[in-house]
Amino acid sequence: MNTSRTRVTLVAAVLAIAMVLAACSSGSSSSTPAEPGTKASGHTIAVPADQPTIQGAVDAAGPGDLILVSPGVYNESVNITTPGLTLRGIDRNTVILDGEFKLENGVRVLGANNVTVQNMTARNFTNNAFFWTGVKGYHGSYLTSYRTGNYGIYAFDSVDGQFDHSFASGSPDAGFYIGECFPCNAAILDSISEYNGLGYSGTNSGGNLVIARSEFRFNRAGVVPNSGSYELCYPERDTTVVGNLVHDNSQPDTPAIDVAKLAMGNGIILPGGHDNLVIRNQVWNHERVGIALVPFPEDGPKDQIPTGDALKIPCSEARNLPLAAKDTLPGTLLWDAIGNKVQGNTVSASGIADLAFGTLTGSDDPLGNCFSGNAFTTSAPASIETTMACSNPSGAWTGTLDLVALIASERPASGDYKVQPVPPAQPNMPDAASTPGQPAANFPEKLDIDSIPLPAKP
Amino acid sequence: MNPGVTAPPTRHLGMTAQVVLVLAVVLVSVAVAAVAPSLRSGAPVTGFQRIVQGTVPQFVVRCAYSHSATDDPIVFPGDPGASHRHDFFGNRTTDASSTPDSMLGAETSCQQALDTAAYWAPTLFDHGVPVVPQGADVYYRPGPRIDPTSVRPYPHGLVMISGDAMATEPQSTNFVGWACGSGGDPQVTAPVCPADAPLRLKVVFPDCWDGHSLDSADHHSHMAASVDGHCPSAHPVPVPQLQLTVRYPIHGSDHELQLAPGSMLGGHADFMNAWDQTELASQVRLCLNRVLVCGVISNKAEDVDRPLPSRS
Repeated sequence: MNTSRTRVTLVAAVLAIAMVLAACSSGSSSSTPAEPGTKASGHTIAVPADQPTIQGAVDAAGPGDLILVSPGVYNESVNITTPGLTLRGIDRNTVILDGEFKLENGVRVLGANNVTVQNMTARNFTNNAFFWTGVKGYHGSYLTSYRTGNYGIYAFDSVDGQFDHSFASGSPDAGFYIGECFPCNAAILDSISEYNGLGYSGTNSGGNLVIARSEFRFNRAGVVPNSGSYELCYPERDTTVVGNLVHDNSQPDTPAIDVAKLAMGNGIILPGGHDNLVIRNQVWNHERVGIALVPFPEDGPKDQIPTGDALKIPCSEARNLPLAAKDTLPGTLLWDAIGNKVQGNTVSASGIADLAFGTLTGSDDPLGNCFSGNAFTTSAPASIETTMACSNPSGAWTGTLDLVALIASERPASGDYKVQPVPPAQPNMPDAASTPGQPAANFPEKLDIDSIPLPAKP
Repeated sequence: MNPGVTAPPTRHLGMTAQVVLVLAVVLVSVAVAAVAPSLRSGAPVTGFQRIVQGTVPQFVVRCAYSHSATDDPIVFPGDPGASHRHDFFGNRTTDASSTPDSMLGAETSCQQALDTAAYWAPTLFDHGVPVVPQGADVYYRPGPRIDPTSVRPYPHGLVMISGDAMATEPQSTNFVGWACGSGGDPQVTAPVCPADAPLRLKVVFPDCWDGHSLDSADHHSHMAASVDGHCPSAHPVPVPQLQLTVRYPIHGSDHELQLAPGSMLGGHADFMNAWDQTELASQVRLCLNRVLVCGVISNKAEDVDRPLPSRS
């Protein structure tokens, strides 16, 4: 894509400003006290003993407080605007937020940094179960989400966070979603996503974003991050998908937004993603493709695809960039999958191909994508590890990718999210009642990616 | 390919590439905030905001189509059948005799159960037959360049109309326009839309209130649009800029479209604030005043009326 001179200049200017600001803030930070809420206050509010409702406790709490919720069904929609709170259930399976299909969100964290939500269940909400927006520092842990009308466990425009030991089921969009962030500095670990339209989705996220040691099963489609200028911080990039179990994502009766219906039957698919690493995943039983790098043509784009230094601009600055002039935009903007590496995965029992790559460039340029060291049977193009080996990522491939079957069958209509399966009881966090508050100030945890193994089939 | 369906782009792509293109297109629901003429043109900034979703604070409500009637509780209150035909979204009980108080607590067609407000737009006809809309998306944002912390909720019972049902000249696309898909640019006339981005009517309501009147004789003059980030002195109170996008299952060229008032130029929409007022105030305070994106439409179902390609 050509980048206009104006844009380059603006990008340079923004980068320069960002560097100056960074210099200023680092210079003054040594004399600034720690941000409120980055440390536990030691103060605990019990629900219902001290406050009859969770929202009441939240409103009464100060930064760094712990709100400890006893078993019960709470018909509440909780909004958190105080930093550093820890909202924790004493028992994950019996502390239940229930929206009764009337309330919108279980817990919404609105611009409050370092908020932790732990060890509880949210169900029957018309929008999302657990949602962080506009925050720095977040942690969702030992959470169960089911029967939600949009997303399950969801972070938007937020950085420095982690979801772990969580379970999301029965949403038409994604069970887990991390979107609009770069660098995200975030992770999804040790979690399970099932009976959703998409197991994981994230539009325009990435930058130290890791999805690891988790299981994506019985969704319409498994792991589906994507790029597009219809939301901020394009493209999707630099996400590591490692050590996951991804299987049976051809489930025909889940709730499903349109995108999920169309992506149905694919395990890990990266439409228009850049520089992602898909490694050591165990992927099996998919109607269509196990792991696929595919393009995403965006109809009616808002902007051009950023290139060069523009790709380094953090999301926090990208919102200040002007859009490309309307008359310079194509009717359809082609987001190719670029620079992705697919290595060391074991992929089997895919209806069309275990490994697949497609481009719209019309050439045989593999666009820096590569496949190596995978255990697989079928690929499109054939011999994908020869023509697109990671030792030769600029090599040419000459095969064709026949994806006719990907779109040639009827897709079952969306199932009703209100009648999806109730998850079985899930493990509790250790010592929920006695552990002090844990503001989400140091996430994601440090991961040794190299030590995360290929998981065996269960 | 069905008649009336736009052929996929061919360019120099082979069949396989075409299939990939279609696949990739359908993998995405491209839905962007409404689009305005370039902000860099020097023209006053008012109405439609050409932005990427996620750039400015907002909360959104997605509503199913509810019902239709030749009723208009703002223009012809208590006079059933007096109006041209309207399609109603949100409150399920809206009819000629509805008042904001009568609607409180009713069922709603919106995903947000506490949004019991009424939204309506003129019925679109195709070859003389009413088109059943797929639904409506409602965006609540600060007006363009308005200080988000200054935005106040609409008072209970406020009514608004944007657009002119009787227009015989093109209306400003800053406030009323036709577009393809949620992200398409608004135009004076309905464009021929592709199957994966079907027709939309987009209406932006005024975002400044006079501070005391819930309605006015012409149903317009108690409201005004901000210009360049400022509310005019007679309408000093910034309120959310409401954008209603009505989604129709219309694509391709085999259509003869007409709006209920008689002309495609007469695009307009009406709003009656019967939200659960506590919830509305909470959304304004928590999302707009705190400068947060509380939701986006773009990742949600487009419900595209798309033909599946036949197996060759």
